[in-house]
Amino acid sequence: MAYAYLFKYIIIGDTGVGKSCLLLQFTDKRFQPVHDLTIGVEFGARMITIDGKQIKLQIWDTAGQESFRSITRSYYRGAAGALLVYDITRRDTFNHLTTWLEDARQHSNSNMVIMLIGNKSDLESRREVKKEEGEAFAREHGLIFMETSAKTASNVEEAFINTAKEIYEKIQEGVFDINNEANGIKIGPQHAATNATHAGNQGGQQAGGRLLLSPFLAASCPVEHALCPPPSSFVLS
Amino acid sequence: MSDKDATETSAVTEAAPILKDGNCESAEKPENKSQPVASTRKRPETNPSRDLEASQIPAQVPQDAAKETVSKDAPQTGWGYWGSWGKSLLSSASATVATVGQGISNVIEKAETSLGIPSPTEISTEVKQAAGETNASENESSPVAGPFGMLSTISTAVQSTGKSVISGGLDALEFIGKKTMDVIAEGDPGFKRTKGLMTRSTLSQVLREVKDKEEQSPSNEVTMETDKKTHYGLLFDEFQGLSHLEALEMLSRESEIKVKSILSSLSGEELQTTRLELEQLKEAFSLAEFCEDEEEERQGDEEFTKEITELFAQLHVSSRPEKLARARNTAYEWIRTSLARPVTEKEEGEKQLETENTEEVKRSSIEDIHAFAIRSLAELTACSIELFHKTAALVLHGQKQEVTALERSQMLSQLTVMLCKDLGSLSKEFTTCLTTAGVREKADVLNPLITAVFLEASNSASYIQDAFQLLLPVLQISLIESKTESPRGEPPAQNLLTEH
Repeated sequence: MAYAYLFKYIIIGDTGVGKSCLLLQFTDKRFQPVHDLTIGVEFGARMITIDGKQIKLQIWDTAGQESFRSITRSYYRGAAGALLVYDITRRDTFNHLTTWLEDARQHSNSNMVIMLIGNKSDLESRREVKKEEGEAFAREHGLIFMETSAKTASNVEEAFINTAKEIYEKIQEGVFDINNEANGIKIGPQHAATNATHAGNQGGQQAGGRLLLSPFLAASCPVEHALCPPPSSFVLS
Repeated sequence: MSDKDATETSAVTEAAPILKDGNCESAEKPENKSQPVASTRKRPETNPSRDLEASQIPAQVPQDAAKETVSKDAPQTGWGYWGSWGKSLLSSASATVATVGQGISNVIEKAETSLGIPSPTEISTEVKQAAGETNASENESSPVAGPFGMLSTISTAVQSTGKSVISGGLDALEFIGKKTMDVIAEGDPGFKRTKGLMTRSTLSQVLREVKDKEEQSPSNEVTMETDKKTHYGLLFDEFQGLSHLEALEMLSRESEIKVKSILSSLSGEELQTTRLELEQLKEAFSLAEFCEDEEEERQGDEEFTKEITELFAQLHVSSRPEKLARARNTAYEWIRTSLARPVTEKEEGEKQLETENTEEVKRSSIEDIHAFAIRSLAELTACSIELFHKTAALVLHGQKQEVTALERSQMLSQLTVMLCKDLGSLSKEFTTCLTTAGVREKADVLNPLITAVFLEASNSASYIQDAFQLLLPVLQISLIESKTESPRGEPPAQNLLTEH
């Protein structure tokens, strides 16, 4: 299905807080109590609709283990949204939020929308972190906040979708430069038709016109931009 | 809000309905050509190589070059010829590369040879013929596309280049230049010449752009259904191949930066020895053995699973190749069943080529095989790249350094060769299926499908080899770090944090 935008998300947070479970619940609508440890990063994708527009979420579910930290940082780049997850039944996962936040801010773009998630809200009896604490932390650091349960699916949709809404609003406000893919946003095929014409032509010129489309190719091609291979493939090294 | 297809991309399409283009003639008209050229994935543009091969066949009559290359010569040589596709792509790439930088006339001459263009004396007749064909085919409205799109790319390219040579050498030159670049960028399984290009635009980026381009072509919508089943790029993305590739690129790039910065901080003897060691690693990545070995019999399922598992065990990373082995064995199992239970043949006397609709119905079985073949290739490639990505992550993670980076490189190199070879034999089996099922089909119906399978197999092998190359910086940094850290008495096996 064609989409208007593609947003890249990352999910970060301590090991065992339920990152992979949140992703699985969101993409497959199921809960799997036992999960293998994530190595590096795993992926999920799903289409959502915002403001009547189809938006594809491409989600990078990172490993939470401390020893993977240096590797997972590499994956932060180019994310438009981040779900920063802690476990409401484990105080230490909440205490580590500052480090995660610093990491995220340092290794991704400054406009990245961050959603703070207190997961495992179904385990009320074992709660160690009050909802108000989560709210306060979010307010202090300019994050959106929600408590979720990957097990019961409570608020899971909302967490992913509200993040997308925020990103979408930022696009509308012009905060995000959607033409810069480092922002984790890509214009989908629906919108790209007009933009691509420009992009393609620019690319072509950069590459040094000599080698480019011969007149006959250009003339006989009704959809000119579609003809241009990625600009880089023209560049002689 | 919640149409929850994780794989929604598959709904988007390519301009190229494989099933529609049984028609050779229509494929050749230049007017149509722009579309197939546009929608053909980049890798398939390596097809000058096929032409090169074809043009080397003595039996070929130059005038036939455009059309007959596709419809006759290929069957004559037998698809077994493709056993060496890995090599032929290489040689064609170098052949084309060699033409660049020579005198103009020389370039044209060479390009004519490599593109299958007849000698100048024959061009005039060729052009007349081409014009005739064009007129004739203009009446047919069938859109040209699919794997056939790339076939027609050759033939039209040949024709058009032929014309341009007469009307003005420059057109041809530009066209050849473009072709050359495509060949260099996309058709170089050995990757070496591509490196310069790759650094500028990453492989996943190229793939993504190609996919996007296909997604956005409006002419595709009609054929969505059939297309998404046979669209390699979309399937590859569906299997998360693109994401793993992108992630692998990120790790690779970061490692490369680290290697450079470390090297710049070294000096004297230390620099020399490190350089030397890095050089050795690089050699392990040259995949020389890929060209040496002649094809062997394909391995049995157990053999394959065993060998790949052993290779991984020797790598000493905790990722396991089960997923890949499973996907691979499923594919072979499917082939076995398919060959054991041949599809119902069409009634005799029935003609294809009449209308596309009837054709589609009749051809469903070879289409099924074709679709499954493309799907399997996409899945296996995605799994392979996922393995490489996980391996990179685990190597960087710094577990179990009792294996040296050099040893790991050698294992990975072996693994790459093994995967590529297996893809080669898998594609051969698929085409055997196609040939068996399509025994009554006309060559111009069957051959595009067969070609598409070989081509995607060749592309798959290229992607895997490119992904393998991305591991080099990762192993380089792992080598450097094991050197700098061991002397400090830190037990390497425990050294989980490898970052600086």
